[in-house]
Amino acid sequence: MATSKVPGEPTQTGTAVLETATSAIQGFGPINKIHQHLCAFHFYGYDMTRQVESHHFCAHQNEEMRQCLIYDSPEPHARLIGLEYIVSENLFLTLPDNEKPLWHSHEYEVKSGVLFMPGVPGPIQRQDLDKVAKTYGKTIHFWQVDKGDAFPLGLPQIMMALTRDGQLHDNLAKDVEKRFNVSFDAERENRAYMKGPEHGIHHLANGGGKGIKTVLRETDCKPVESVPRVFV
Amino acid sequence: MASSNKDVPESMQSFETPPTVPGKPMSVGQHMLDKGAAMLQSLKPIKMMQQHVCTFALYSHDMSRQIETHHFVTRINQDFLQCAVYDSDSSSARLVGVEYIVSDRIFETLPAEEQKLWHSHAYEIKSGLWMSPRVPGMIQSREHENLTKTYGKFWCTWQVDRGDVLPLGAPSLMMSPQGEPTGMVKPELVQKRDEKYNISSEDLKKLRLEIAEPEWINPNADIWRKTGKGFAVDIEKTEMKCTVPFP
Repeated sequence: MATSKVPGEPTQTGTAVLETATSAIQGFGPINKIHQHLCAFHFYGYDMTRQVESHHFCAHQNEEMRQCLIYDSPEPHARLIGLEYIVSENLFLTLPDNEKPLWHSHEYEVKSGVLFMPGVPGPIQRQDLDKVAKTYGKTIHFWQVDKGDAFPLGLPQIMMALTRDGQLHDNLAKDVEKRFNVSFDAERENRAYMKGPEHGIHHLANGGGKGIKTVLRETDCKPVESVPRVFV
Repeated sequence: MASSNKDVPESMQSFETPPTVPGKPMSVGQHMLDKGAAMLQSLKPIKMMQQHVCTFALYSHDMSRQIETHHFVTRINQDFLQCAVYDSDSSSARLVGVEYIVSDRIFETLPAEEQKLWHSHAYEIKSGLWMSPRVPGMIQSREHENLTKTYGKFWCTWQVDRGDVLPLGAPSLMMSPQGEPTGMVKPELVQKRDEKYNISSEDLKKLRLEIAEPEWINPNADIWRKTGKGFAVDIEKTEMKCTVPFP
């Protein structure tokens, strides 16, 4: 508990015991499918200067789609700050054109060495990352930890990923390289053979070249008549 | 690109049961890679999930659209829970969003504008809609007393009820079930859930009569009850603030 960055009272022993008992009884279908930890960086869809270290915990829906929970660290009490969906180029191309700008390419992140699987030997990760380089991702963050928010405040944020040299803050890169004992430059050479999407990076991906932001709009609740009045 | 009910192309919709996500089946090689990674990687935050809760949620921008939700819950401390939300508890479940839950103590410290994005939990628990599958009632009840006083903020990122085969559009703000007509969950949804787990929400409701109602529910939560208004999220084009060209 000591490592938690979220304000609040420590978990009471009774609560902890109950929850441990509960977890022994229940099934955790989708959670048990999570098999992979990827570390990379995201920035805000309208502000590249705000960059967030993101730990993805991913499960495959099938060969062409993964769904990932994103935490701010790999530690037990890490904050769940967002999620990412990853799809093959094939599936990306089926998306409506107005959807494509919300997705980002992964080619640069993989080929530059900055996206990596902590604790997994290079030759093994490269087998998978060779596939990731060809995919697109849609990332949404709910908790702006880089701003120092103690709680998840405000609107969800569409995030983007690195697309060229010089974008990633040097201090952030060095810090991650040191903590995870990796070298982005050395890994970049190892990945030189990898290829991005077969048809090249789609011009509508990565915001379509523009920034994107979310805004809140007030709507009318549907009239009561349209909702069933009977309760169980 | 809004979270509202704008038309989705037919090619992006499917209402199969069980739902299938487009894409080739997993290859043997990918299975091996995943298994290998899981052995080498500690996945610590994932192992902290200790509870599975099944309940319902309503779209803030259209409360006649409602979904059954499966929350996999991590307690960070006595005042804060974070949940990965799926559309079922099966291993092929789709990740549909994230919910955060805070105690009343924390909620009262949030700015009023922020509070309007949150919902209360008292009705959902007292009515038996919120339940922990496969957990005996006695174990559940102690936890429920605390939860009635909490507030939640739930963003849905995949509108599976609309038949979306892939996650489309902006995230949607979700609200909790309430006792008045606009906030009621459709009986057929509850019945389907009850049958799946062989339980009766109506019986749970009776068992929970003794749970005390919170003395105070902040009226900024469930703001639709006061204003008759909900919220939708839109996505707009803007400038990218950058020092290096993008993309």
